[in-house]
Amino acid sequence: MAEIVESGGGKGKGDGKVRAKKLSTRVDMTPMVDLGFLLITFFMLATTLSKPTSMTLNVPDKQEDKEEQETEPLKASKVLTVFLGRNDDVYLLDGIASNDDKAPEELKKVRFGTELRDGIFKSQKRVNSQFEKDEEGNLPFVVVIKPTEVSTYKNVVDILDEMAITKTKRYAMVDFLSDSEKELLGDRIKPQPGDQ
Amino acid sequence: MAKVRPKKHPPTIDMTAMTDVAFLLLTFFIMTATFKSQEAAEIDTPSSISAIKVPDDNILMISIGNEGEVFFGVDAQPDRIRMLDNIAETKGLTFTDEQKKKFSNQASFGFPLAQLKGWLDLPAPEMGTVKQPGIPTDSTGVSELADWVYAARKANSQLRIAIKGDNSAKFPTFKNVLANLQSQNINKFNLITDAEEPPAGWRSDSE
Repeated sequence: MAEIVESGGGKGKGDGKVRAKKLSTRVDMTPMVDLGFLLITFFMLATTLSKPTSMTLNVPDKQEDKEEQETEPLKASKVLTVFLGRNDDVYLLDGIASNDDKAPEELKKVRFGTELRDGIFKSQKRVNSQFEKDEEGNLPFVVVIKPTEVSTYKNVVDILDEMAITKTKRYAMVDFLSDSEKELLGDRIKPQPGDQ
Repeated sequence: MAKVRPKKHPPTIDMTAMTDVAFLLLTFFIMTATFKSQEAAEIDTPSSISAIKVPDDNILMISIGNEGEVFFGVDAQPDRIRMLDNIAETKGLTFTDEQKKKFSNQASFGFPLAQLKGWLDLPAPEMGTVKQPGIPTDSTGVSELADWVYAARKANSQLRIAIKGDNSAKFPTFKNVLANLQSQNINKFNLITDAEEPPAGWRSDSE
C-alpha cells in the first residue's frame, strides 16, 4: 500500500523538542486509475480478440501426369451432385447423371442450412446402405461439388463446411460443367444483368 | 455547550486496489494485443465450423475483395522487401529505397505492376485512401499474381498460403486465384474463415 507507517521514535515524548509536523504519506491514486483505464480502453479497442480460423483445402495436382489420371469412372448412383447457383441457391441431383431423362424432375432446389443438410444426409444414407465399402474401407458415398460462375466464394466455403458437418470424406470440387449439365440448369446459372 | 466535534476529514477511498486491477488488465491486453493492420480493403469472411487457428507467422495472404479485386500480402517486413527485389529483378524494374520502405509498411496491396510505382510515390497518408484496382489474375495461371507468389516464395520458402475471400466475391475470381497457385504446384491452402459453432451434437472425428 501507499502508506508508510512511520514509527514515532518511542521515547522522546516529553523532552520538549520541537518536531516537524508529520506529513501524511498517502498518495492519491485516482489519476493513476484514470490513466490505467484509459489505456485499457485503448488496447481493448485496438486489438482483434477473435482470431480467425482457417479451413484447409487440398486440391488435386494439376500437373499432367497421364498415368495417374486413369481412374475408374464413378457410378452415377453413388454420387450426389451439388450445383451452386445464383442467390445462394443449391441444386441437388441425387444418384442420377445429368443426361438422364429423369434429371429435370429429380433436380431439387434447396437452400443452405437444414434443407441442404437433410438432402445430403438422405443421399448419404441411401448410398451407404445400398453399396458396400470399397477395398480401402472408404464409404461409397461421393459428393461432386460444382460451383457455377454465378455462385460466390461464400457458397464454396459453406458447402465445404457442410462436407465437414455431414462427415462426407469423399468429395470433389469440379468447376467444369458438361453440356448436359448446362442444359439441365439452363438459365439458373447464367449471369443476369441484375447481378452485380 | 462546547460540543466535542471530531475533526473533519474529507472522505477518501483507497484507490490502490483499483489501480492494481486496472494495471493487471492493462498488462493482459498489452500482452495479447495483435494490432489490426491496415488492410487494402474491408473483407467480410464467411464462417465455418473449422477450429484450426491461422498460423501466426510465415503467411502469404491472398485476399479477394467483394468486387473480385485480388490483394496480396506477406506478413514479415523483410520478406516484403526481398519480394519486391525479386519481382523488380525478374521484371526489369528498379525501386528506390524510399519506395521499398513504403512498400514494406503495407500489409497488403492490390496494384498491377505498372501502377505500383505511382502508388508508392504518393505521400504515406494518401496511400491508404486510394482505391486499389487489384492484382491482375488470369485463368491460365500465368499472370502477375503468379509472379508475385513466385517472388514471395523465393523470398521466404516457408510461406504458407492463406486465401481470404469476401462473402460476395464471385466464384470465377476464386477459381482464377486457384489456377494461379496450382500452376506453380501449390495444392494446399488455408481458407480463412470466421469461427462458427458446429451444430448441436456434432463431434469431430479426431476427438
